[in-house]
Amino acid sequence: MSADQPDVVRVDFAFKRELAQKIEGNLANYCYQCGACVGDCPATRYSVAFNPREIMLKVLYGLEDELLGEHSVLWECTNCYTCHERCPQEVKPVEVIISLKNMLADRGLAPTAADKVVRTFMTSGRTVPDNPAIDKQRAKYGLPPLKPVPMDEIRALLGVDEEEGGDS
Amino acid sequence: MKRFAFFPGCLIPARHPAMEFAIRTTLEKLEIEIVDLEGTSCCPDPIYFKSKDKVSWLSVAARNLCLAEDLGLDIFTNCSGCTATLSETYHLLQDEEIRDRVNERLARIGREYRGTSRVRHIATLVRDEVGYEAVKNSVVRPLEGLKVAIHYGCHLLKPSRIMQVDSPDDPQVLERLVEAIGATPVRHANWYLCCGKACQNEDIPNKMMHDLLSTVNDEHADLLGMICPTCFGQFDHGQMKIAKLYEEDFSTPPVYYFQLLAFAQGVPYENLGFERQRFKPVALKKFEGAAVG
Repeated sequence: MSADQPDVVRVDFAFKRELAQKIEGNLANYCYQCGACVGDCPATRYSVAFNPREIMLKVLYGLEDELLGEHSVLWECTNCYTCHERCPQEVKPVEVIISLKNMLADRGLAPTAADKVVRTFMTSGRTVPDNPAIDKQRAKYGLPPLKPVPMDEIRALLGVDEEEGGDS
Repeated sequence: MKRFAFFPGCLIPARHPAMEFAIRTTLEKLEIEIVDLEGTSCCPDPIYFKSKDKVSWLSVAARNLCLAEDLGLDIFTNCSGCTATLSETYHLLQDEEIRDRVNERLARIGREYRGTSRVRHIATLVRDEVGYEAVKNSVVRPLEGLKVAIHYGCHLLKPSRIMQVDSPDDPQVLERLVEAIGATPVRHANWYLCCGKACQNEDIPNKMMHDLLSTVNDEHADLLGMICPTCFGQFDHGQMKIAKLYEEDFSTPPVYYFQLLAFAQGVPYENLGFERQRFKPVALKKFEGAAVG
């Protein structure tokens, strides 16, 4: 949805409603752009593209195209939680960023690393699947083999759920 | 003996069994009884899994917490990632609306999250339930003169409102634990930097690890002490990459704190799996001759 007049920013409310469905996605509404999140952000220190204050501003305006594209800058976040620590408004910028990542995942735009972790989890219940070499190593330290994860429970828990990830 | 439910996670039991061995050995000497949980899964991981879908992430985490609730025990973790997932879940599920959303999922498997088991990281478990003095008394070969640079990593401390571990701006727990085994903790100039593992860009973590290792090197530390297996992987395998990329060889061995404690409590060097590390903490060997009483 692009504005007819390029100079006018139109707030995209559909985008903001979708973000608000995500857990803690709506917290950016409390952002007053003070920039406390920027000073200690390691990703900002090492990347010219990443700035949590700017990301929160784009969320406030609902600039979906700048946030939710392929190779989104959001994946540069190191998940260090310092912005969560510093924010005087309890916006938890990292949580807003993760909610935006959930929206990227809903659009099929998660990085392969994330897809791989979830795929491994869905088959073994672990991020490092069990194998005989692991159990052999464990035995060296007198540790028992890894126990299987009850996957019936895991699958039931994660079964496709219509109410999540939608635009309701 | 105080009893706690043990949440081992994925990385330590599968990739670093020597760390699990060290945890079990040292806690027994500190009179903590480990109760193994039946049927735990991945916590699940607070980076990729959480980035795909927060509600699924919370549901799997809540199921893991339910297993400790069934036993009426607090749960302790040995990995900062598991600590982040389980502590955040404990915190978020105090919100009734979120708890209802998650309990709807749990109802499919006949479970209900109640919020009765607290989550503790093993470092704080030792601080709060054992105490530094008892750790010191368990040591048979104090590591005097060993300089241990401290790496907290991110998720043990932040967000402090949720983790409730220590001050993220001037934390003490790892420094005091290192002192308790007779070694000298060193806070280097970039101590607060992240290991960078969660970042989906290679350049940022490379630069960050390089800067962190340089300031560790400036302090002439013998090793880099830490309490997170993810940070450990970054600084062990990852350090090879940094050395090549920047043509600088820092040769700073990372060591998981509880292996260090096990060594100080008298476990032989060769029983602690150090031979599997890319950078081996050979500085420990000079303490091997010390009287083990």
